[in-house]
Amino acid sequence: MNLLDISTYLGHLHPLVVHLPIGFLLLAVIFQIISYWPKWAFLKGAVSITLLLGFISAVFACIFGYLLAGSGDYDYYLVNRHRNSGIFIAVLSGLLYASTLSPISNRFKIPAKVFSILLIALTGIMAYSGHQGAGLTHGTDYLNLQILTKKERVPPPSVDEAFIYEDVVQPILENKCGSCHQGGKRKGGLSIQQLQGLLKGGKTGPAVVPGNLSESELFRRITLSPTDEKFMPSDGKPALTSGETAIIRWWIEKAMAAEGKKIKELNETQKIKGLIAYSLKLGESPEDEEGGSDSIVVNPDIPSTVDQMAIESLRKKGVVIRVMLQKPAMLDLTLPSGKGIALNTVSDEIGKIAKNTVWLNLSGNNLTEKELGVLSSFSNLEKLRLERNPVSDGIFDIVVGLKHLESINLSETKISKSGLEKLGASTSIKRVYCWGTGAGEVVGDSSGVWVR
Amino acid sequence: MSHHHDDEFRIYSKEFEDLHKKWDRRQFLTQTTLGLGALALGGLFGKNIPGASPAAMGSLEQDILAALPHFAPKAKRVVYLFMSGGPSQFETFDYKPKLIELAGQNLPDSVRKGQRLTGMSANQSSLPIAPSFYKFNQHGKSQTWVSELLPHTASVVDDLCVVKSIYTEAINHDPAITFFQTGSQLPGRPSIGSWISYGLGTDNENLPSFIVLISKNAQKDQPLYSRLWGNGFLPSQHQGVQFRTGKDPVLFLNNPEGYDGTDRKEMLEYLSKLNTLQNDGYGDPEVVARIAQYEMAYRMQTSVPEVMDIKDEPDEVFELYGKDSRDPGTYAANCLLARKLLEKDVKFIQLYHQGWDQHGSLPSGIAQQCKTTDQATAAFIKDLKRRGLLEDTLVIWGGEFGRTVYTQGKYIADNYGRDHHPRCFTMWMAGAGVKAGFNYGETDDFSYNIVRNPVHVHDFQATLLHLMGIDHERLTFKFQGRKFRLTDVEGHLVKDILA
Repeated sequence: MNLLDISTYLGHLHPLVVHLPIGFLLLAVIFQIISYWPKWAFLKGAVSITLLLGFISAVFACIFGYLLAGSGDYDYYLVNRHRNSGIFIAVLSGLLYASTLSPISNRFKIPAKVFSILLIALTGIMAYSGHQGAGLTHGTDYLNLQILTKKERVPPPSVDEAFIYEDVVQPILENKCGSCHQGGKRKGGLSIQQLQGLLKGGKTGPAVVPGNLSESELFRRITLSPTDEKFMPSDGKPALTSGETAIIRWWIEKAMAAEGKKIKELNETQKIKGLIAYSLKLGESPEDEEGGSDSIVVNPDIPSTVDQMAIESLRKKGVVIRVMLQKPAMLDLTLPSGKGIALNTVSDEIGKIAKNTVWLNLSGNNLTEKELGVLSSFSNLEKLRLERNPVSDGIFDIVVGLKHLESINLSETKISKSGLEKLGASTSIKRVYCWGTGAGEVVGDSSGVWVR
Repeated sequence: MSHHHDDEFRIYSKEFEDLHKKWDRRQFLTQTTLGLGALALGGLFGKNIPGASPAAMGSLEQDILAALPHFAPKAKRVVYLFMSGGPSQFETFDYKPKLIELAGQNLPDSVRKGQRLTGMSANQSSLPIAPSFYKFNQHGKSQTWVSELLPHTASVVDDLCVVKSIYTEAINHDPAITFFQTGSQLPGRPSIGSWISYGLGTDNENLPSFIVLISKNAQKDQPLYSRLWGNGFLPSQHQGVQFRTGKDPVLFLNNPEGYDGTDRKEMLEYLSKLNTLQNDGYGDPEVVARIAQYEMAYRMQTSVPEVMDIKDEPDEVFELYGKDSRDPGTYAANCLLARKLLEKDVKFIQLYHQGWDQHGSLPSGIAQQCKTTDQATAAFIKDLKRRGLLEDTLVIWGGEFGRTVYTQGKYIADNYGRDHHPRCFTMWMAGAGVKAGFNYGETDDFSYNIVRNPVHVHDFQATLLHLMGIDHERLTFKFQGRKFRLTDVEGHLVKDILA
């Protein structure tokens, strides 16, 4: 535990503590007002102590609030207004309390009516400050009359029926930019919640200029090098996929920054429709998505989490597991050669992390394809090393089913030329290493690398 | 007598002890926003947090390490063939036919543009242009120009990504090589291999993740200091471990005479206990590093002889690498050893070959250098390729700077020399994540200035880290109040060469 966390922790108490002054001060106002009725006149004397409690709790709320503001990225203006009004409440309640104390009230008499009016004004400021605070936690449009009339968006039945902005663009932005640019958070002054917000932009100018890609700051930021300081999303948050970037590009280029337009109203190419279909989960990933893209494309089928217990247990047994990426959880798994770890003694646990395994190295483990049936569960495998194992052509029947497999190392195995012919069934396998096999001799390259 | 750890005269608080040891005054003041009150609370809350360990106190480092890798890596291992001394680009990869008609003429000031010269040629009355004595030909499908000195390398050009537009800031050997290895011209920063070992750990706990090999069959005109593979301010276990030739590949690894393995193991276990006690008392991270190094040394007693053993390599392999490869410690033998280390998943191998500093008699000198290295370099690429290791290994070839177009001393067609030149030179990379059969960058007709796609040393380092899955701006280490990184405050990923 870091000591820094203590201040964060106390800051987190602010939403709790802040309700104490609200209660106390409101009570003070109620006491003051109903004390005008003779029946309740005795409550007049309680106003002072209630104000004192309100003042003390307001001071604490201010301190905790200050700590909380330092720990998160809140909207600058909202925080400013909330903080200033909060401090004002604390100061005013303190002054009002002081005015009830005899040394002061004797010298500086405030008329009872003025005192009441000031108390009511305090209530008003409290309502204002509370609203600003709620805006920070729930978003500024949380308490909004439109909510009464708003309908849940029905997912579009087909690409043609989808609204360009509402169904396609807005969800992408909300998903990838929302954590910093919507609700109470407006980093750089930008909010992506409404189309107007995008057109208005933030500190560095409009985020989107319809029809003008080079002036659109949003597009510039999402297409910078991921290592650039200005790149968005920042701080390693998941970037837009190349498909999403292409959709945003198309949307800006075609100057369609308007609400209520359907895809079918435009004569659009099949390519962009394919991308949109994929983003709406109405279709498969288009095959040519990689083309011309700068971002690193990660296979979306890789699970984002992984069975940690299985990893730990496998590591204890001597299996080497290297984490290639945390999210999604991509693994590089090696069964060390010559350590005598039999595949069938660990295959149950390996099965649990099979979908996370992107690179797999089983070289030199005296395996035949009979023991390698387990490979078919490695559906996200990209690189497979099986060299120096007595596997023969049967292995190709297993690996052609792995649709993400790009490279397979079969050098110094028992494969033959006829095995290579089975590769016609796979479109993903690009390289097969066949050095030191019957197949290697016919490849033509002296290194025995078969290349599609 | 037993060792008493608690002391009745001292109020013992683990948290306070750890704070005392691991926090300096500045950290203490900056991180305790609420001062000592928070310290007391820290003690109260700290105990119940699962996984909270005293080490997590200085958690900046842990946060940085926990985020790694930043993106899916293309390369799993790196081999850096460092051609120390500064190989001439003119006689290797950067073909400049126009120089032939300008032979012996003075280098125009319009080309030199005020570039500083070293003390070795600054006082020359003229700077006569020297074209390459050796012929060039285009090779492979990529039609890459390679000089006749490198026939074997020419046979693998379609696997190489040749970058002709590398430039550096240093003009002398030591600052230049230190710049390449550590990102700073001044000594004291961690080497690339140390950064990678620190950031990514090891894939084989029986061998160091950063190993250094130095050719014995080279003219040692410019020295190599062990700080070039030093850990700088990173924990000591990340320094490069040099494998030597001869009886003891790694110094101080063998058991003393008359001492068997069990005794050694027992002794090390006791030593480890003592060191652990010491660490509990003082919390010096160097003690932890020392424990780790002793443990590694013990495991290396078996793993090193195993990997150094070349008995089982077939003759065909020695023929491929050249006859030197049977003689341990030569460049060829080191290339073969590097391949064996890669097969064991050693993460970073730094191989040095000295002797490329031809200020005079360049034609004969560079021919000798190429002869010693060319076949083994090409064999290394071929061997990795057929074994499928080029798939996830990055190979780098290059020196610390280039050489001048003008001759140092008199120009004679077959006997000239070249001085140091930082503004442009050639390197190549091959393997995981880089384009194969690709030429990048272009120099002017004098190979004096870059005309297209310059690549700074920091850009090269940023790209190397990127291929290993590291964002060069995010792998930092705070030392003496500043966050340091390999690429200092610069460096851009060279996207164009990524496959």
